Amino acid sequence: MAAIEIESLTKWYGRTRGVEEVTFAIERGEIFGYLGPNGSGKTTTIRCLMGLLRPSGGAVRVLGERVAPGRGTQHARIGYLPGDFRIWGRAKARRSLGLLAALGSDGSTARRRELAARLELNLDRAVGDLSKGNRQKVALLSAFQHRPQVLVLDEPTAGLDPLMRQAALDLIRETAAGGAAVLLSSHDLSEVSAVCSRAAILREGRLVEMAPIAQIIEQGEHRLKIWFRDGALVRDVPLARLPGVRIVEQEPGMLHVAYQGTADAILKWAAQFPVDRVATPQTSLEEAFIQYYRRPPNAEGETAKGGRS
Amino acid sequence: MSRAARPPFPFALLRFWLVRILPAWCGIALLIFLMQIAVSAIVHDNEKVKTMLAFIDMLPSIVKSALGGEMLRMGNTAGLIAIGYNHPFVLFLFMLYAVGTPTGLLAGEVQRGTMELILSRSVTKTQVYLCAGILTLVGMFALVLVMFLGTVAAVNIFTFKDRVPLDVFFRIAINGGLLASTFGAFALLCAGTFGRLYAAVSVAVAFLVVNYFVAIISNWWPRMAFLKPVTLFYLIDSSNLWAGWPLRNMGILLAILLAAAGLGAVIWHRRDLPL
Repeated sequence: MAAIEIESLTKWYGRTRGVEEVTFAIERGEIFGYLGPNGSGKTTTIRCLMGLLRPSGGAVRVLGERVAPGRGTQHARIGYLPGDFRIWGRAKARRSLGLLAALGSDGSTARRRELAARLELNLDRAVGDLSKGNRQKVALLSAFQHRPQVLVLDEPTAGLDPLMRQAALDLIRETAAGGAAVLLSSHDLSEVSAVCSRAAILREGRLVEMAPIAQIIEQGEHRLKIWFRDGALVRDVPLARLPGVRIVEQEPGMLHVAYQGTADAILKWAAQFPVDRVATPQTSLEEAFIQYYRRPPNAEGETAKGGRS
Repeated sequence: MSRAARPPFPFALLRFWLVRILPAWCGIALLIFLMQIAVSAIVHDNEKVKTMLAFIDMLPSIVKSALGGEMLRMGNTAGLIAIGYNHPFVLFLFMLYAVGTPTGLLAGEVQRGTMELILSRSVTKTQVYLCAGILTLVGMFALVLVMFLGTVAAVNIFTFKDRVPLDVFFRIAINGGLLASTFGAFALLCAGTFGRLYAAVSVAVAFLVVNYFVAIISNWWPRMAFLKPVTLFYLIDSSNLWAGWPLRNMGILLAILLAAAGLGAVIWHRRDLPL
């Protein structure tokens, strides 16, 4: 049984679409990336999952129980970090975190102390006096302090310095290794590719891709850089005869192209010139992600449904 | 499909909110208490009473209506002490608590963005609403108790020529508390309905102000007397209170209180919060 199951989730805000027919599942121990630009429906999905919004259709299950909006029956076992984390500014971090821990769990302080030491956070300062990075550490503590079995994280490392970012990612990996299911929504795609095994991409409220990270990257464009001997200038690249190829950069003696499928056609064309050397820059998740947004919307309504690969 | 049990009552949230509103409650309680002492300090002295009545007599009749109307006459010591219960400043303090507490706790947390954190923990929306309701109603009745204790203290501090009927003041206090709690329940309804703090406060205050001025005007202007029954203030008519417990009016107030609070709970539970 998956720890998180979202089935045909639909949410409309009046006549505005939040998400439509979103379906995916996350297993225990899995870190699942949830990607999409601003307004694509990531936060709507997360709030429906947390029972903060009432879905217009579909069903959400957490740890086998259907989520009933406003009832919070499974929330003692969920760690939630909202994208726009706001907490009582005048209260000390210790007091605010104590309240959140006491609402539904044992409220023990040992884990909180351990996490605060690990993230180098002073719990005895008012949250309003903390820097943005330190407030984000408070947010991390609020999500992790009760040893959750399900983690729902929206931009968990926003505002953290590189060292703390690494510590936060380690924390996420450890929690998943301990059997927790993690839904990680982030704009930082290097972060997603570093910790997630699978990811889903949302576009205008619909799921357009869901696959292992390596597969998403593989499905994207590939890059090829060709340097020509003696700075030979290749002027007219016959793009009409090279389907799926586009020029990324062109300089005297160098051609940088992106292609889909195989490199056969572009290599055969380039072979007629005096080639000095060839390089194949690695495609990043970010490039693959951007391509999903370059493609025109599918007229039939694009939905990558269901299955786990 | 398994079904987990309802989360336990969030006493931690109740304590957290109690600590937050306690300074304001203490300030209001102190002012109400001192107001009773001050009024009793004035009315226990005949000379001062004469001066005060002469001063009140110069005021426009609408102001006299606001201060107690027919009760304000020489020899009616209890009526004069009751000024401390009817005084607009005291009413303002009660209404400040009645409107400020539920709107600050519910709509305020929503507007601050902290409601999302509260509801992400093991607590139901109804429990959160109940916490705000409990603090509003219990706090309100604690305030009327303080008001009554102010009178009890004053009676022991000052010497009055006539016997002061404390049982009547207890009745007035309880009924006043019921009235203020009904306004509190309406504010709770506003807090559960509106996403923004200013909207919830504005509607609750507007309801209160309209009720108050309709009550004053209908008492002062005979041609407007037909409006008396449409205000909540009509339900704590002083002539009824002197005679005994006005059970029918208390029942009506309680019914309005429960209806407003119940409707607010349903709306609060059903609607998506503007997080």
